[in-house]
Amino acid sequence: MLYEFKLPVIVPQMSGATIECLYGARDDSLRLGSKLMDLSVDLSSAFAQECPPVSFYRLVLRETVYLRKIDVVPGQHCALGDRIALFSTDPSEPIDQETTRQVRCTIAGIIHHDGMWTGSHS
Amino acid sequence: MSGIPLRFGPLASDGYTIVRSGLRWLRESGQFCRAGQPIAYCNVSLEPASVRVGRHHAVADELELQVVFAPRVSGRLTIHPEMTRGGYLSIRGVDAWKADTVLGHIEPDQPADESDQGRLRLLVVAGRRMTALADVHSGLLPGWNGRSRGWWCEEGETPVTLLSLGLCDTTGVILGEQCAFLEMFEAASDAMQFVFIPDHPVAPCAPVLLDQLTRTPAQFDALAEDLRRFLGTSTVLPTADDWMFAGALLSVLRNTPLKDNYNIISSTGTRRLGPADGVLLSLSAEPQSILRHRVLGYHLHIMRHHQAAAGPAIQAWLASAFEPIKRSIDTVRRDYEKLIDTLARTTGGRILVLNRMSTSGYEDISSYVAFDAPMSATLSNIAAKEQNLMLHDIAETRELTIIDVDALAAELGAGQHLPDGIHQSGQMQILLRRQILQAMADIRATAPNVRIAGRDH
Repeated sequence: MLYEFKLPVIVPQMSGATIECLYGARDDSLRLGSKLMDLSVDLSSAFAQECPPVSFYRLVLRETVYLRKIDVVPGQHCALGDRIALFSTDPSEPIDQETTRQVRCTIAGIIHHDGMWTGSHS
Repeated sequence: MSGIPLRFGPLASDGYTIVRSGLRWLRESGQFCRAGQPIAYCNVSLEPASVRVGRHHAVADELELQVVFAPRVSGRLTIHPEMTRGGYLSIRGVDAWKADTVLGHIEPDQPADESDQGRLRLLVVAGRRMTALADVHSGLLPGWNGRSRGWWCEEGETPVTLLSLGLCDTTGVILGEQCAFLEMFEAASDAMQFVFIPDHPVAPCAPVLLDQLTRTPAQFDALAEDLRRFLGTSTVLPTADDWMFAGALLSVLRNTPLKDNYNIISSTGTRRLGPADGVLLSLSAEPQSILRHRVLGYHLHIMRHHQAAAGPAIQAWLASAFEPIKRSIDTVRRDYEKLIDTLARTTGGRILVLNRMSTSGYEDISSYVAFDAPMSATLSNIAAKEQNLMLHDIAETRELTIIDVDALAAELGAGQHLPDGIHQSGQMQILLRRQILQAMADIRATAPNVRIAGRDH
């Protein structure tokens, strides 16, 4: 079966997110509990502030899958609903089919770290 | 004309005549206004009353000086439009301050027990510009101020002072929506002074404040010389952004707001207040990693969005002259305890801290196996919980007032009132103001001796 990860609503006021770092590469076998990527959400467009209300999040998989395709790089901004990654339950399954559902994952608020795109490039 | 005439009331500065501009209105004729709600303001300047006094008056280093007016009773307002002079006459001082000047009338909507209902409440606001170039004429406390303050008091009252040194989570609560303490003024009838120091470019975390408290003039000269030398010899040519950032940085580092005394003008003349009775900090200002100068040893914490204002030379200086130092929760606790003890010993001031939001309705963590220990190094909500608990540990042995943002946000609903964990809704700010004013009332009641005027440190 094919699963996808489309950027979901993490906080209601967000319109998109920036990819901060990736932990998996194409064709990696990712076990339950694997880190997939870190994201940042900037609510500046929703709230006029003198400083940007930026929060950081980590996506952790809640099921074992193969990462078949990942369409983003660190620093890239994604809109809500953009497909960011494609997964399969079988490593050789063709990926030109309809996806079954969103991959199951946990989204956790995290602290900024040195491996993130923000802070090293902006 | 019906209603109660609204009179300025007395305002004086020893040895100086107070000159005011035309009024600028915050409310219009026909509008209802609450008791204590600001309705107008003017700029004021102090002019020597005789040739024997100099130009160095009580608030000489604060180029922004304004008076805000509010009625003591609620009711329907009628303003005198001729009080608006327009153009530069509503900016420059054109009329001497007269206590019996009437700016309008009010028709009270209910009986009031005020003995002098027509005498306006006065909020005096003063701003010390980050640079004298920031001479902006629009609005209340305009421009870029390195320190803003506002005070109010009646005859015989001594204001209790709160110094705000936090991040955005304190800014809106203390300054209010027009950045001029208007909400605090309306909410508190007791004599008070609020002082606000912005977090640019240096965020006010405990190590930075401790350095400020103990820094000698010679140490300041050394750090200024270090910066000058780098900018003068660096292979990275400084840009305009670098020079402006450097100027702002030196302007902040040479000050010690925790030790500042304050002159105020009041209905009975000039008065001198001692250092702040309460100091409001933000737990969110305490980083897990801070910059320490490799040679001179002082600390800097510059928020990422403020670092972006620096040019390439300052970025190069920060990268080469400083080293990042990790701070464990025990380190943060020790820094706080040292700051509380040093401040109590030096000025008698007490610390109030806004704690951190530590939960999120948007998180759906079903298992923590995926996160390495210590989880507080990764997960922001666990870090916030541990830091909040650390504050309670400190409060068991020291005078520390915790303003419980965490509990308040959980009660109100953080999704609506604290969506990013820092920037509160207006409703939440109102409730936080009440908590802060209660804490200041407690300080006033339990430690009257900390308000000794005229203490120099």
